[in-house]
Amino acid sequence: MNRPLFPSPRIERDLLILPTSEYYRRRYRKSRVGSWLLFTVTTLAVLLAAVGARAEDASQALAYEQVALEDAGSGDLLLVGREAGAFEPALHLSTAVDMRVRGLVAEVQIAQTFTNTSNHWREAVYVLPLPENAAVRGMEIVIGERRIVGKVREREEAKKVYTEARAAGKRAALLEQQRPNMFTSRVANIAPGEKIAVEVRYLQTLKFDRDQFSLRLPSTLTPRYIPGVQGELSQESAQEPVQEPVQEPVQEPVQELALNPHGWSLPTDQVPDAQHITPFMMPMAELASRGSHQMSIHVDLGMGLPLADIYSPYHEVDFRRQDGNRYQVQLKGGSAPMDRDFVLHWRPQMSSMPSAALFAEQSQGDSAQYLQLLLLPPRESGATRRLPREVVYVVDTSGSMGGNSIRQAKESLLLALSRLDAQDRFNIIEFNSHHRSFYPRPVTASQENIHRARDWVESLSATGGTEMAPALKEALSQQLDEQAGELVRQVVFITDGAVGNERALFEIIQQRLGQVRLFTVGIGSAPNSHFMTKAAQIGRGSAVHIGDLGEVQVQMGRLFEKLENPLVTDLRVDFPRGIKLEGYPKQLPDLYLGEPVRLVARIEGQPLGVPSSGELVVSGRLAGKRFSRSISLSQLAVDQQGDEIGSVWARAKIAALRDMQRQRGPLAGTTGEGERVEGSLKQQILTLALRYQLASPYTSFVAVEEAPVRSQVETLKSSSVPNAVASGQNLQRFTYPSTAAGVYGQFFTALLLLLCGWGLRARAAIVRSVRALLYGLVPDVRRCQTRLEHFLARRLSPATIKSGELPPHVIGTRIPGVQK
Amino acid sequence: MNRTWLSKRLLPLLLIAAGVWQLASASWILVKAELSQYLISRAWERQLHAGEIQKPWPWADTWPVARLKLDQQKPLVVLQGITGEALAFGPGLHEASALPFAQEHAGNTSVRTTVIAAHRDTHFRGLEKLQAGMGVQLQARDGRWQHYRVLGTKVVDSTRETLPISDRPGLLLVTCYPFGSLEAGGPLRYLVYAEPVPDAAVIQL
Repeated sequence: MNRPLFPSPRIERDLLILPTSEYYRRRYRKSRVGSWLLFTVTTLAVLLAAVGARAEDASQALAYEQVALEDAGSGDLLLVGREAGAFEPALHLSTAVDMRVRGLVAEVQIAQTFTNTSNHWREAVYVLPLPENAAVRGMEIVIGERRIVGKVREREEAKKVYTEARAAGKRAALLEQQRPNMFTSRVANIAPGEKIAVEVRYLQTLKFDRDQFSLRLPSTLTPRYIPGVQGELSQESAQEPVQEPVQEPVQEPVQELALNPHGWSLPTDQVPDAQHITPFMMPMAELASRGSHQMSIHVDLGMGLPLADIYSPYHEVDFRRQDGNRYQVQLKGGSAPMDRDFVLHWRPQMSSMPSAALFAEQSQGDSAQYLQLLLLPPRESGATRRLPREVVYVVDTSGSMGGNSIRQAKESLLLALSRLDAQDRFNIIEFNSHHRSFYPRPVTASQENIHRARDWVESLSATGGTEMAPALKEALSQQLDEQAGELVRQVVFITDGAVGNERALFEIIQQRLGQVRLFTVGIGSAPNSHFMTKAAQIGRGSAVHIGDLGEVQVQMGRLFEKLENPLVTDLRVDFPRGIKLEGYPKQLPDLYLGEPVRLVARIEGQPLGVPSSGELVVSGRLAGKRFSRSISLSQLAVDQQGDEIGSVWARAKIAALRDMQRQRGPLAGTTGEGERVEGSLKQQILTLALRYQLASPYTSFVAVEEAPVRSQVETLKSSSVPNAVASGQNLQRFTYPSTAAGVYGQFFTALLLLLCGWGLRARAAIVRSVRALLYGLVPDVRRCQTRLEHFLARRLSPATIKSGELPPHVIGTRIPGVQK
Repeated sequence: MNRTWLSKRLLPLLLIAAGVWQLASASWILVKAELSQYLISRAWERQLHAGEIQKPWPWADTWPVARLKLDQQKPLVVLQGITGEALAFGPGLHEASALPFAQEHAGNTSVRTTVIAAHRDTHFRGLEKLQAGMGVQLQARDGRWQHYRVLGTKVVDSTRETLPISDRPGLLLVTCYPFGSLEAGGPLRYLVYAEPVPDAAVIQL
């Protein structure tokens, strides 16, 4: 039934009245706004397209035609991109790492070979990243078969010795500590074409968490953000009482420049040693194409325990089992690029899982003994009441987080949000150059709030600086005091820790912590572990680390377990009467799920390992219940030869003294007493470091060959050996600024808008004038006077166009006014 | 009636208002760029005399670090930093780079490429005219001039390449590209690289 009910009547062609121009005018009056709009938009689009196309053309033409800079002779410089002839490092670097794991300590030897590929004598300057708890206790220069052993000297003195040797043309090496996990290594007078190796030896205590031992070896670093004011301004603002400069080791802000010309940032009021900690970075691909920056690793795992599992999350490793439960681990393929941390985890078999480990060692110089303890608190059984929590998540969205890091951070954050309960409260703060809170105060974790927060997190992107201090202050002051005691307060800090003012941040955490516990989530291939662990330690929390997107689930899972499970508190270790003990940490921290009790101590008064030694008792409280464990000291085998635990103890003591220095930091200098205490602390660290031959903020290693090798006629050039950009990161420091104010675009928009606006206003007048113009141009059939006009009118009349050719008399009869 | 009123009165008014606003803000950028250069160059003069850092206005978060002269063009005062705020007032010195003079009194080989960036539509409009062989000069805080000779120009895609800062002396001028483009924030950058000319080699005209 497609036929219409009332078929339209056929109208004779002759009776048809064709619409006049008046009809069309009325008919389309209504929708004229629409047509104007259409007109404007079309014009705009056409114009923009035209302009865009022109710009594109021009840019392409130029890009291809003017690449002739290499010919001009500066090819070295301009092309750090992918093209050939890029900045050529004068020195190549290769690294061989040998680790020996014994007891709870890994003894690591890093041999770095610098090869001079240029035609000049060179000095190599390299920023050497090391684990944050490394006790550096040896440095040697190796030239072929010869070895020159380095000695610990006071920092200033070591520098003087080195500078003199360098000027005299002697081979020399210097190793200075800039941060606990960052050292500067220098080698002077490398002949053209020569290879010189520097061997650094250090001890590192193993990490143990959730039945798993682990070891981390950094191979590069994430460029640190340097807050504060640069250059001469620093002196000016240092006088202002507002900004107290960081109490970094009172060192050489000005004359130091003379010795270290390779830093990239200039010292600022907040980071006086900025130039030491911001090395020249190069993309790994560049370095690898020259065969530089390769690292080989060999680990000898001799803990005496059968292992269930050995794995490295970021590298492929091969391992071999030997007699006596020794394992030899090597990198698959021999070597790997130095663009990410090397991490090794191993897990003892469940049946032989130790519940405690105790090692002792006889001191070499005196009758004292050293002791290292690791003990697992009892596992808590049965379900516990889950306490409501108030969590503030702080996420770093600075430029250094660009690339893979920000994705890992977002994933972690989303996972954390999904873990919240309806009775919990939460907030999110993001920071780069400025910080921004999601809500002004923590809110309840309702479905709706979580949903909004997820959207917000998804929209975050990484740009700008890393102004961490204000964000940290904000996070620690967000929680209201009224609900104290009811809520478990936590701050989860997700960052790569790429900042130069660590000490100032630690101070903030210490001063403002209150009831809050601070947890850190380290992100990226080469995070600042020193910041991560220390911040968590001061914040009475715990640190996890995510180096890969695939690790987010596992590592965040670990963090949630720690966040949600009860703590082991009130820990104490009791020794038998008569033993004089100096142990570190001084105050045992509360333990989260899976963490062991650790202690390293120096014992005097009564020898260990003899029948009269007695026993050691560890006691604490878990979920309201007391527990205690005792270990007999009489069967302990005391190592007579080793000196590892002694060094580890000294290193722990230095760290503790540094913490005390920091606590007194802001006061020191204002009162005479503060200064004296500061001075005495420094003196203690110095004596300790010299006695145990350790690198410290106040001591450096220096090695000098006796005979000069470079004659005075030849000059020495100093070159920085770059560090590789960590895998998955962008080199933020060298990104181009945005350099268009958009003035032309604005002018163009203004022009268009004004034209349209004015056009609309004067529309009537315009329409009138256009109509007049059209009337003037298009012949009107009603006013035809000449034959030509008649002919044209006939051709152009609507009817003709519509129904093709028509006999002239028909037109004549139908359209009035044609016949005069 | 409402619709006619809307279309006849309000719409044109709105469009005109928006147009005027755009026009004003564009002009403001230009005026600000010019005016601030005046203030900044006064601060620079004071600085030359006093030898201490002078902020161009009390609340400024940047300060003049050098004076730049492109060929025969009007000299520009370079500010510290390349943040959007600094670039609105004048060319900015990239934080990761350094001035050629800063290291000299350290008496060592400490040298870095100097990178100066500015907006293509305000201060670095004239960059287009620079060609290989032309002279560029940079004045230090102590009044000395360092002379450079333009080696060449190049267009790069900033999303794919990084700034070529290294431990060599040299001056790199950066601005957006293409010059006449309407849209801001495009990926292309125009680089002018100039190498230092030893003082003796400069012929005074």
